[in-house]
Amino acid sequence: MAGVAGGNDFQWCFSQVKGAIDEDVAEADIISTVEFNHSGELLATGDKGGRVVIFQHEQECKNRPHLRGEYNVYSTFQSHEPEFDYLKSLEIEEKINKIRWLPQQNSAHFLLSTNDKTIKLWKIGERDKRAEGYNLKDEDGRLRDPFRITSLRVPVLMPMDLMVEASPRRVFANAHTYHINSISVNSDHQTYLSADDLRINLWHLEITDRSFNIVDIKPANMEELTEVITAAECHPNQCNVFVYSSSKGTIRLCDMRTAALCDRHTKFFEEPEDPSSRSFFSEIISSISDVKFSHSGRYMMTRDYLSVKVWDLNMENRPVETYQVHEYLRSKLCSLYENDCIFDKFECCWNGSDSAIMTGSYNNFFRMFDRNTRKDITLEASRESSKPRATLKPRKVSTGGKRKKDEISVDSLDFNKKILHTAWHPKENVIAVAATNNLYIFQDKIN
Amino acid sequence: MEYKVEAHRIMSISLGKIYNSRVQRGGIKLHKNLLVSLVLRSARQVYLRDYYGGICLSAQQAREWCEGEYMDSEQDKLVPGSKESMPESDGQSEVAVDKQEPSNVVESHAALDVESEASGEQDHAEDGVLDSGCSELKTPEENPEASPTFEVPNGVTTISSNCISGPPPSNPEQATETPNDCQTDGSESVEENSLERTVPQTCTNRKRSADDSELTDSLPKRTKVMSPPLISKNDEKRAETEEMDTSNVSSLITIFGSSFSGLLSSEDGAQPDSEADQDSDSGQICCDQMLKNLNPWSTAIVAF
Repeated sequence: MAGVAGGNDFQWCFSQVKGAIDEDVAEADIISTVEFNHSGELLATGDKGGRVVIFQHEQECKNRPHLRGEYNVYSTFQSHEPEFDYLKSLEIEEKINKIRWLPQQNSAHFLLSTNDKTIKLWKIGERDKRAEGYNLKDEDGRLRDPFRITSLRVPVLMPMDLMVEASPRRVFANAHTYHINSISVNSDHQTYLSADDLRINLWHLEITDRSFNIVDIKPANMEELTEVITAAECHPNQCNVFVYSSSKGTIRLCDMRTAALCDRHTKFFEEPEDPSSRSFFSEIISSISDVKFSHSGRYMMTRDYLSVKVWDLNMENRPVETYQVHEYLRSKLCSLYENDCIFDKFECCWNGSDSAIMTGSYNNFFRMFDRNTRKDITLEASRESSKPRATLKPRKVSTGGKRKKDEISVDSLDFNKKILHTAWHPKENVIAVAATNNLYIFQDKIN
Repeated sequence: MEYKVEAHRIMSISLGKIYNSRVQRGGIKLHKNLLVSLVLRSARQVYLRDYYGGICLSAQQAREWCEGEYMDSEQDKLVPGSKESMPESDGQSEVAVDKQEPSNVVESHAALDVESEASGEQDHAEDGVLDSGCSELKTPEENPEASPTFEVPNGVTTISSNCISGPPPSNPEQATETPNDCQTDGSESVEENSLERTVPQTCTNRKRSADDSELTDSLPKRTKVMSPPLISKNDEKRAETEEMDTSNVSSLITIFGSSFSGLLSSEDGAQPDSEADQDSDSGQICCDQMLKNLNPWSTAIVAF
């Protein structure tokens, strides 16, 4: 796959934007997770209102082959509702924290969606035929009087308008005391893990009334609590391996074959802290907000507040690559602490060939890094640059005193416009970027 | 000096965040509060480091303060506090257990602190920089079983979150003292008006309990309710663990509030200054000394 920056590489251009244009953004419409399925045909988004919207990639037009197909709404459903825990007098938010697709095994699609406490398995199926000619009921569903039936007939399947139905098939509840931050489907396609602040549970997709606790870092005395789990993921092809990241900037890789309780890690990834950059907020900015294995399974990527790091699973003492996302914010940490932006949890993602990585920033900027050429690019998801097939112009934040033309100074960045969730199509150069309540889809321009 | 002001500001902001997290939808977020507590701790360390770099009380005075160490009384308080809120359910029993543990932790921490800083720190006891030092006052009835560890009012790293804690909205039975305001500047970390309303009440309580009326007179004008944020923080940690129990809150507040009168009586009647005043108010300073000797930080956090 070609590189991310300009030149001979592909150029990113606008494809679509989904969501209201309204300036007034309803909190419930804020997108909280974005995920392509394994083929890239479907793109799921979850929002703070507990809804899941699935877009489907339309077939390309035969007469206009240079135009890639668009993503159109395929299904919308309410996944989670707000709940109230009466015992603890706590409201449980309906916000969808994560969506993960299951690998497709039949014509239906399955995904896991989770809020803070409950994970649900949804089946999204199509119905384009309907049976007609029942014996015991007539066309509008009313039961027929059995005594009136004089002959039997075999119902036939007649075509009907395509209907996409989403139905909850499993509800995995009551297994987490703390807020769930991650779910990850195992490569065995039978189990998955869910992680909250202090514990990780292993579930079987068919069994909802119990789960195995495989990691528990809750100290006997909560006073000694020093770190929490921030993200967890299963290895893409080794079904016994998973990793979890912590708020201290460390990653632990565990092998489920070693013990039932994986409190003792197999590998421990930590980069020594640079003492010269110590500040009040060193601990906060070192907290890892996302961890993702590469598709190959050889590397993993972690995102902390200011940087993205790529780790080789065979080397624990430091990452093999570090990319600064918005280093110019390092001097602004105090203000970012005040306005809570320092707690923003940015995600990161790999492209299909693991040659590039992408993550979000503020002012609706998102950044891409090419691992081979070491080039990086900053792009913006905005309505202004949303003309069909318009090439995105690289953006730049001026850090020095002199601000060049077209550059933006750090102080004029809009910290309310943050891109926390991005997703890269597993096979093509198509990316989905969630900017508050809007979903932008960008594609490369085929020359 | 710059750092001190900055540290102080960060401390107030952190407390505000902790307090606000109580009312946020979706319950208390353990991760965020842990991070905020780390920032608070760092800021406090810097603050205290600067503090001890300044003027200090005379060693004698400092020693006096240390005698009736708050720490012990706090430990005493912790135990009854935990018993008070003895819950029925599993989660709560865990809470109760944890409650009692802090007393041990407090001791061990104090011991550590003393051992590590036993070098003539007494000279630094005096400090004129206590504009908003989170000073605590002890109740006279606190048993001054001065644990030997409290000899030295050193710049204990364990923050005295007690200093930030104050009386609960309702604490009729105990003469809880509202701590002197930790905020020197105007930055309000606590927005709740209701809290401020309770302050006068608690100050009144203290008035009754303390012999030193002068001090209590001046205290109300300084006190800001810091306890709710802290208590909410404790709440959060606990709530995250098992449950949100308001009885825990009041017991915690009891713990914190109990220590004021002792300091009050020891003071020479010096008036605590209004904020931002680098006054060599010995009383104030001594309160601060006490404060720093406490191992309230982690204790407070998980006090119940």
